[in-house]
Amino acid sequence: MPAVELPVQKWPGRIHEVTLGGNGRKKVVVGGEATLPFLHFEGAIPHRPAIAIEVHDRNPAEWAENLRQVWGSALKSPAAWAKKASELGADLIALRLSSAHPENGNTGAEAAKKNVAQVLEAVDLPVIVLGPEVAEKDNEVLMAAAEAARGQRLAIGDCMEKNYRTIAAACIANGHVAIGKTPIEINLAKQLNILISDVGVSRDAILMDPTTGALGYGLEYSYSVMERLRLAGLQGDAMTAMPMICTVGEEAWRQKEARVSEGVPTTWGQAKERAILWEGITAISLLEAGADIVVLRHPRSVELARATIDKLMAGAGQRSA
Amino acid sequence: MPLSGIEIYKLLPKSNCKECKFPTCLAFAMKLAQKQAELSACPYVSEEAKQALDAAARPPIRLVTVGANPKSFQVGNEVVLFRHEKTFYHPTALVVRVSDSDSADSIANRVKEATTYTVERVGHNMGLQGIAIQNKSGDKAAFARCAQQVQSLTDLPLMLMASDPGTMEAALEKAAAQKPLLYAATRDNWQPMAALAKKYQCPVAICEPGGLQPLSDLTEQVSKTGVEDIVLDPGVRDFNGSLVSLTQIRRLALKSNFRPLGYPVITFPSEAASSLEEEALLAGQQIAKYASIVVLDHFSPEMVYPLLTLRMNIYTDPQKPIQVTPGVYPFGNPKPTSPLLVTTNFSLTYFSVAGEVESSGFPSWLMVTDTEGLSVLTSWAAGKFDAPKIAKTVKEFKISEMVSHQSLILPGAVAVLRGELEEELSGWKVMVGPRDAVDIGSYLKRSWTS
Amino acid sequence: MSTPSPSSKNFKVAFLPSHQEVEVPIGTTLQEAADRNGISIDLPCGGQGRCGRCRVKVEKGQVSQEDNPHLTPRQREQGWVLSCQAQVASDLVVTVPPPRERARAETSTSRAAATVRLEWPLEPAVRRATLEIPPPTLEDNTSDLERLERAAKEALGIAGLEVSLPLLRELPQALRQGEWRVTAILEGAAGDRARLVDILPGEVKGPLWGMAVDIGTTNVVVYLADMSSGHLRDSASAPNSQASCGEDVISRIIYSLRPEGLKHLQELVIQTLNELLSELAVRNGLATTEIYDMVMAGNTTMSHLFLGIPPRHIREEPYAPAATRFPPTQARELGININPNASVTCLPSVAAYVGGDITSGVVSSGLYKKKELTLFMDVGTNGEIVLGGDDWLMTDACSAGPAFEGAGIASGMRAIKGATEDVRIHSKTLEPTLKVIGDVKPLGICGSGLISALAEMRVTGVVDRAGKINLSYIREAMGKRCRAREGEHGKEFVLAWASESGTGEDIVLSEVDINNLLRAKGAIYAGITIMLRHAGVSPQDINEVLIGGSFGRHIDVEEAIQTGLLPDLPWERFKYLGNTSALGAFQALLSRQARAAIKEVAGRMTYLELIADNSFMEEFTAAAFLPHTDMDRFPSMKNLLREAS
Ligand code: SF4
Ligand code: FES
Repeated sequence: MPAVELPVQKWPGRIHEVTLGGNGRKKVVVGGEATLPFLHFEGAIPHRPAIAIEVHDRNPAEWAENLRQVWGSALKSPAAWAKKASELGADLIALRLSSAHPENGNTGAEAAKKNVAQVLEAVDLPVIVLGPEVAEKDNEVLMAAAEAARGQRLAIGDCMEKNYRTIAAACIANGHVAIGKTPIEINLAKQLNILISDVGVSRDAILMDPTTGALGYGLEYSYSVMERLRLAGLQGDAMTAMPMICTVGEEAWRQKEARVSEGVPTTWGQAKERAILWEGITAISLLEAGADIVVLRHPRSVELARATIDKLMAGAGQRSA
Repeated sequence: MPLSGIEIYKLLPKSNCKECKFPTCLAFAMKLAQKQAELSACPYVSEEAKQALDAAARPPIRLVTVGANPKSFQVGNEVVLFRHEKTFYHPTALVVRVSDSDSADSIANRVKEATTYTVERVGHNMGLQGIAIQNKSGDKAAFARCAQQVQSLTDLPLMLMASDPGTMEAALEKAAAQKPLLYAATRDNWQPMAALAKKYQCPVAICEPGGLQPLSDLTEQVSKTGVEDIVLDPGVRDFNGSLVSLTQIRRLALKSNFRPLGYPVITFPSEAASSLEEEALLAGQQIAKYASIVVLDHFSPEMVYPLLTLRMNIYTDPQKPIQVTPGVYPFGNPKPTSPLLVTTNFSLTYFSVAGEVESSGFPSWLMVTDTEGLSVLTSWAAGKFDAPKIAKTVKEFKISEMVSHQSLILPGAVAVLRGELEEELSGWKVMVGPRDAVDIGSYLKRSWTS
Repeated sequence: MSTPSPSSKNFKVAFLPSHQEVEVPIGTTLQEAADRNGISIDLPCGGQGRCGRCRVKVEKGQVSQEDNPHLTPRQREQGWVLSCQAQVASDLVVTVPPPRERARAETSTSRAAATVRLEWPLEPAVRRATLEIPPPTLEDNTSDLERLERAAKEALGIAGLEVSLPLLRELPQALRQGEWRVTAILEGAAGDRARLVDILPGEVKGPLWGMAVDIGTTNVVVYLADMSSGHLRDSASAPNSQASCGEDVISRIIYSLRPEGLKHLQELVIQTLNELLSELAVRNGLATTEIYDMVMAGNTTMSHLFLGIPPRHIREEPYAPAATRFPPTQARELGININPNASVTCLPSVAAYVGGDITSGVVSSGLYKKKELTLFMDVGTNGEIVLGGDDWLMTDACSAGPAFEGAGIASGMRAIKGATEDVRIHSKTLEPTLKVIGDVKPLGICGSGLISALAEMRVTGVVDRAGKINLSYIREAMGKRCRAREGEHGKEFVLAWASESGTGEDIVLSEVDINNLLRAKGAIYAGITIMLRHAGVSPQDINEVLIGGSFGRHIDVEEAIQTGLLPDLPWERFKYLGNTSALGAFQALLSRQARAAIKEVAGRMTYLELIADNSFMEEFTAAAFLPHTDMDRFPSMKNLLREAS
């Protein structure tokens, strides 16, 4: 009988470890993997992937009713919202400064400072601060946030190809981690990492967001780009070995399948459950492709993701024969 | 191991005679390497070359067919660990399990539901692949009766699940013509099970939870009896265990060319799940990471629809981006006065535009032009997204009967088409939208007044 | 254009500085109006409104037009419009600026005689033979034609002789004038039926003229050869005047779709050719009708336009050209001023974007018989790449855009007098030093200068790896006399101040220009990468890189590697061959064997369609970085940057 020789792949590279928080606040470390997601038998996975809950600095009227209901009055203040998120088991708070968007209030640096401070005050979790994704406004509010939270080691994003210099510089000056975001393409992701490194951000202070495609809306592109980035990083390419963050909630809840309950085919099934699975399956798929942080919206998806990560991490430390 | 184009070329006659309908022997060899041509197209290959090519072309994971005409499904024959390396060829079959201890009514309902379930996504219809029948009653006659009942209700392929060979044969006597998958040969019953598989010419699953070595040994024994259509069940059920063992089986087959494990794999996610959602998540993992058949214990549309969508995503050929069917897509109950946007049928383009239109809050029409799966700028450069083409699409889908305003919004990247398009579509007003999909919402807010 | 109907409105358009006036219907574009007046305005993008280079200035009156991003608000205020887009809407006065590029481009000629060695047996398709023909008698009064054929068969071993009607009309006179001694110019090898090209009384000696032509998208090159000795006697080149209808092949194909567009393009190139011919004829003291054979090499689009074959489908998927083999034709049918009976042979193409210039280059460069893996590249508006050797040949083409020919770059120009061909930037002060062709003040910058500038800017940190100008760093280094600034097209770096330049204006490279260059070099490198992958080899396996095309003569290998245009290989592996296309045509003119080899090669080159290759976009993105996203592929640049920092 032929003998089974289990193929154990030894990777020359390792994913950079990135620490968020600390300095009095809880610490979350991501990255450090020496193997593909959850294949504990062939290499160390020192840190479990982290779950961030998305919080906004304004009451997002455009959110699906289902979501608005579960969060209830917490939506009214970012501090209360963050607090509730923390109670529901978030590892991180992802604060999106969407009120700075020109069409959502166009608030500026002052409001950003205030909101970031309030959230930092309300929870002891590490915080991710995201801009409204309008280049000039991002520069304005993220600089302010970076200064306001000096030394708290936030993750700040997004650095895009257009404006990475300003935000990266603010991260260096105030001791934060920079998030580079690129449109679902492996080379662009790597290029931005190189550019951000070239301006002086150290490798343990960069996260990459390769852009999330939700289930049914380009998931396969994100999935493969992330697998490839992870493979390249493990093969020793330091410029693709950054931990990855995915804005799963935002993308999943943008889609009809998660938002709409009426006027859709009956074959789509019951709306509430479907929405949660839409977010949940997107999250788990991307975790298995290499995500180190998933940003989620619905408490039930958070619960499911957490339980799944527990199970996937169950093999940690044990080596199979 | 598959040969490269140049390696194959070295085996060809190098005469460039073109009889294979390719311009050169090398062009033909490269198509062969990509599995886009058949060796038989060249009348001049030597015997020796034929053999070398056949050996190299032997699939590392066997292609197994379950079911018989008209309905059957095929699994296996995968060649890569990561979809970007080539593609995943045979989508995971989703099978719903019923039990012979359930009432005939509930079985009938479940089977009918599963059989008729179909859901449409970007112009493709998706559904389930089969029904598994579990011998839970422990009763031979009940199992046979159940098999017969299910068979009369569905034309989906069947999977018979019984550990007693006698029970299995009782059902087989009713259902063998449909070439069901037999589950399972184990270390205790493999000889009679293999004999049944052989006698009835059915594929058989081998279940051995003791590890990959015993599984491999058992598979060897079964295959020595002449049974070739085999499906593996490594018996590991939980999230991490399943991920690890399925990864190892696939790696062994592909990277180590290890024949005894070169077969498709079957999983049972519900056996490790505490809720329906968890069953769905584990099934999702297994669709992406290497299960060829996933047996579900629950069937509900809100669970199956996301899984079928995931399967479609994962099994899309990354070399051939999925195309959206051209046509007009409504968003949020548009009226004849709602805006009409135009885009191409490259799925990623479509999805980003559709996502923004959806979340803009404006009920809208989105006209998808057939650009053979190319994005806006690429298709424009290739002459596939030009004024005549757009005008043709407007006419083809009778858009002037749908909208009352006779105006359309062009992607900003092809603003140059405006003049010509207005000439082609007399009476229409052509507006130039934003270059980037993310700006659609604010564009509509600003510019859409009618 | 149709005659205006009485109901449609007409307006008067006056053109400055010539003060010509024309009346045209409302809606006529300014370029068409000018054209009617015989004033030609170049349309580099074929009149699509995309290049912004067909500007004219409206001094008085109204035009109707779309907003166009190619004009700055200031220019718009001053009245500049794109003549291909702006339409007449009232009476107008319009200033047409002098054509810039063409004023700079001069015809360059050279007496390159003897520099070219023919590596083939001298066996041209056309031969000359003096025949003694027995005069007719009452006993043997067979016709003149029969007698000629009989004599030719005997003397030359041909199987028969085809004589065209016009020549037949001249035959009796020629025979008698030469007293039954004639010189026949004929085409055809022994054993075949031959075709009479000319018949001259008496014995004619001296050179037997033939010409080899390379019709490029940008330049036309003519070699004049003596087919009896096998020598290259002279050569001449000039810009292809089709450039006024579009700079690249795509724009020209678009232009060809206009009514009469194809005909116009064909006339333009033949006109260029005829001008070069008369120049050569005068200089070498011959009548153009003494030229008895012509071989032409051109890319597939050029061959189509030259022969007047609609090129439309070259541009559209699935990119099927009308032909890749072209039927032999005669000069008279094309209006070429050589002997009207002379054959005109276009060398065969492989595919829509791999033409006779490449099959010709593959033979003249010797690639087709190399035992070791060899890469051949011809960089021009398109980058064509061929990989292989005597066993197999693979080819692809990537549209690099005209950046390397100086187009699509604000200060770009061809490699002629006044062009900056080399740039050095001081590593501390960032002050540039320019080397200009002809040692004059710079007028612009040519392809090799662009590569050089890009490499220097990167190595000195003027631009980052994405080609973005690092304003703050340059400001810090340069202080007051900072050469970097925010310009109309984004950030820019001044290579020469107005006071240092020959144009009286600053010569700058903007981020837009740099981006065009990145794309051009990225496309070529991606084309190479994909081909290597299909062949299953790595760059290190390439034994030799042969560079053809006019571009190749000037570039500096080291700098081309620093920018990531060429693979990082030891410089000894690169070899410049100059105009391999013209050379191949020359060889084909003088040797049937060379002609057969080109035909054979065209039949065995395997074309890879990059558009059909999904990894192209990805490789292209990876390569549109300095030098490349994967630094490991450029170890020498890695070392250099390490030293620099
Ligand atoms: S038929 Fe055979 S010999 Fe002829 S070209 Fe095709 S592969 Fe070559
Ligand atoms: S813009 Fe008028 S010709 Fe290019």
